[in-house]
Amino acid sequence: MLLAYRAALASPRVTAAAIEASEFPALADSMDVWAVPRVVVNGVPQFDGALPEQAFLDRVLAPAYG
Amino acid sequence: MPIFRPEDEARVRGLFDTLERPVELVVAHGPQETPVLGAREIDFAAETERVVTELAALSDRVTCRVENEPGAGGSAAGAASCRFERFPAIAVLPGGRDVGLRYYGLPWGYELGSLIGAVVEAGRPESTLRPESLERLGALDHDLAIDVFVTPT
Repeated sequence: MLLAYRAALASPRVTAAAIEASEFPALADSMDVWAVPRVVVNGVPQFDGALPEQAFLDRVLAPAYG
Repeated sequence: MPIFRPEDEARVRGLFDTLERPVELVVAHGPQETPVLGAREIDFAAETERVVTELAALSDRVTCRVENEPGAGGSAAGAASCRFERFPAIAVLPGGRDVGLRYYGLPWGYELGSLIGAVVEAGRPESTLRPESLERLGALDHDLAIDVFVTPT
């Protein structure tokens, strides 16, 4: 989660939100949340689990560059 | 019951002592989704407000304000206006500026650490990301909304 917050603090293009899955079950269901952390970028599920900084950016930036 | 044991409170105070700029926490209340079975007896909104209020009390550099039905009545005069997608919500504002940091739901258990971490990061004027990461983020030409689904344990 902290990497997402750091990215949002570093770029005006980025926002970051933690979402407590059990309090928002309909949203979590719509994002197929079975494991946490599940990372969703621009409304599209990308990956589960914590990653080191470079790998995290590889995965979250990939959709932006198609 | 306080949210921290005395030894944990001292540790959080120590972390907040490192803040180089003020951080504002905005708690927003509004219509809530029905939580999972077994969680209905918890007042998530009240608990969220209590946790954030107690966190802010640990440092002069951390402040807290509460918004009810944001967007309906507007923010207090001079306060940054925040947009929220669901409730309860917390916005973390470095220097009182909304840069898009949110926590949706009650931050408890392990995830309380995420909120504390957000405050610590927001209190740093300089990013702790590596220079090459900052370069990649600086080259972004699309908006990026990163949502991270978490659970409290």
